[in-house]
Amino acid sequence: MEGLFFNVNGGYVEGIVRGYRNSLLTGQNYSNLTQCESIDDVKLQLGPSYGDFLATLPPNPSTSALAGKMTDKLVSEFRYLIAQSTGSTAKFLEYLTYGYMIDNIALLITGTLHERDTRELLERCHPLGWFETLPVLCVATNIEELYNSVLIETPLAPYFKGSLSHQDLDELNIEIVRNTLYKNYLEDFFNFVNTHPDFAGSPTQDVMSEILQFEADRRSINITLNSFGTELSKQERRKLYPEFGKLYPEGSLMLSRAEDVEGVALAVSAVADYKAFFDAVGLSQGGSGMGGMGGGPADGKSLEDLFYQKEMDMSKLVFTRQFTPAVVYGWMKLKEQEIRNVTWISECIAQNQKERIGNFISVF
Amino acid sequence: MSGAVGREPVFPTRQSLGLMKAKLKGAEVGHSLLKRKSEALTKRFREITRRIDEAKQKMGRVMQIAAFSLAEVSYAVGGDIGYQIQESAKQARFRVRAKNENVSGVYLPQFESYTEEGVNDFGLTGLGKGGQQIQRCRETYARAVETLVELASLQTAFLILDEVIKVVNRRDINSELDELDREEFYRLKKVSNKKQRDNAAADAEILAARERAAEKAAQNGTPPVAEAEEPETTDVLGEQEDNDVIF
Amino acid sequence: MAAAAASTYKDRQFLAVIGDEDSVTGLLLAGIGHVTDPPDAQRNFLVVDAKTENSEVERAFKSFTEERKDIAVVLINQHIAERIRHSVDTFTEPFPAVLEIPSKDHPYDPEKDSVLKRVRRLFGE
Repeated sequence: MEGLFFNVNGGYVEGIVRGYRNSLLTGQNYSNLTQCESIDDVKLQLGPSYGDFLATLPPNPSTSALAGKMTDKLVSEFRYLIAQSTGSTAKFLEYLTYGYMIDNIALLITGTLHERDTRELLERCHPLGWFETLPVLCVATNIEELYNSVLIETPLAPYFKGSLSHQDLDELNIEIVRNTLYKNYLEDFFNFVNTHPDFAGSPTQDVMSEILQFEADRRSINITLNSFGTELSKQERRKLYPEFGKLYPEGSLMLSRAEDVEGVALAVSAVADYKAFFDAVGLSQGGSGMGGMGGGPADGKSLEDLFYQKEMDMSKLVFTRQFTPAVVYGWMKLKEQEIRNVTWISECIAQNQKERIGNFISVF
Repeated sequence: MSGAVGREPVFPTRQSLGLMKAKLKGAEVGHSLLKRKSEALTKRFREITRRIDEAKQKMGRVMQIAAFSLAEVSYAVGGDIGYQIQESAKQARFRVRAKNENVSGVYLPQFESYTEEGVNDFGLTGLGKGGQQIQRCRETYARAVETLVELASLQTAFLILDEVIKVVNRRDINSELDELDREEFYRLKKVSNKKQRDNAAADAEILAARERAAEKAAQNGTPPVAEAEEPETTDVLGEQEDNDVIF
Repeated sequence: MAAAAASTYKDRQFLAVIGDEDSVTGLLLAGIGHVTDPPDAQRNFLVVDAKTENSEVERAFKSFTEERKDIAVVLINQHIAERIRHSVDTFTEPFPAVLEIPSKDHPYDPEKDSVLKRVRRLFGE
């Protein structure tokens, strides 16, 4: 039934995205890329899918310049999509940009705290996290002003409300601010895809719920693992866990009490996927603890690699569903991974570390 | 430097023969001591230069590995953490202290790296994503910096020893002389330029100037050569002519 | 000489760095970053990119090597040292030690290193 009216508003966007998806690099492309001897070769190999965007790069560009141009293409394609969409689809696409907005705002808060020239900061902001009032943030000279007059005007205002006051911004570590915002964002997004009349009971609700649950769990696990050995207390840590997901509530509670890697492994063991990840990287065997990560597991995959792999699998599966803007989400994640992959490969080539070059995730 | 110019004015008596023999012996002992010291230092010096060469090669490798670990961080975080890191840096965790090592009476400082405990500016960086890679990268870079500090010690030792050996050994007396020659030549050129200009002035003026200079020299008892560098004393430059010919 | 040196290096406990963004980020991650107490709040690092003026690099180098007495080692990317080669070559004091380091995009070239050049000159190579 949902297919009956979707195409009236969302059909064009979905069609375009499916086209974009076909230009993603394939396993064959990647194996060509890994044979390259220089960044210029890489540039040449990327020609068919990136075309004009790489034309302005100087000969043998730096990897960051290359990644920048690739991101430009993603941005311009996404902007086209958002311009073509209306109604709930447009709202959905907006949600996709909030993650970048959070990073941009964290960046600007850091700059304002240290009284840096915020104009220079704007150049470092991610273009997808750009919103109209972003440059206004530069007007603020202190945190209180930033909070009272500027942040209120941003789409992220609800995420600050009730969780962070301007005193918090002054004192708290920016990472806590960032993760609090992200938690609120994920919860809001999850709520949006589950309750919006256009999405409730649609494929969008199905796939996005699963994806967002995974994202929430991944953040909780990462935050827990990365908090060991830092001054972040268990209470503070718990406040950063999104309150949904496969781990919520029992797993989250166990995570909040975990003291070490084994504790985390135990907390996630109820979910088969995560248990498999921990088993694969040997974290649940105990003994080695965080030190074991330094050496890395035998096949060179870290826990984060496995999470990325899972994310890619889910993003790829989105394309098996029809009549949903979730394909945009899937395409964006795939594209971002592609940029990371190419950056990694170029970095290996530029730094002459070819033995690790295969450590990327090829999806198609 | 030998010949009549360098010879000591000695009146030939038995007493002064004895004196001269004692002097010679003293000089020989002193020379051999200095020579031994210089040999010890030179040995050390050569060892250090060899190790600098090695350490610089090692540095290339170590820094490459470190740079690569940063690439892993960018991959895991999926973005740039540079700015945040720069803004979070407040207190140095990695510091050095200097201690001394005595080589034949010369103190060579050695930098020793240590960690200031309780300082952790980047504890939460990458909390939601990439924290493990960042942790690994920090360790890799800390090891790299240790190598750099080692190299810095060697380099400082090299510079100090170089200076000391110069003094002890007069090893590079020739290069010093060359340097002097060049300076002198440059000065002569300057002087002759000035002179050409001054030749336009009347002879009588020069004569008067010479008289005044002679008077002045007699009064001060100092040779006017010391003032040769000062451009405004044209009278002195006039005197300089004779000295320059000797050089 | 040795006695004179003792007083000049005792308080030197920090490293300083002049480099491209990646080098500085990495070295800061190692924990060398330090900001002196306010009000002057001086940083012991400078990020140099294509837009940075040579005069600014020069100024930082001067500050780290001559003005500040708490710096033991100055690390500088070799390709940036090239930009202020004269200042680097003419700085011959033992403290602070000036070390030219490679960067990600510019591997280390021993031919350009001012200390190694000195080593080679001494041995007449």
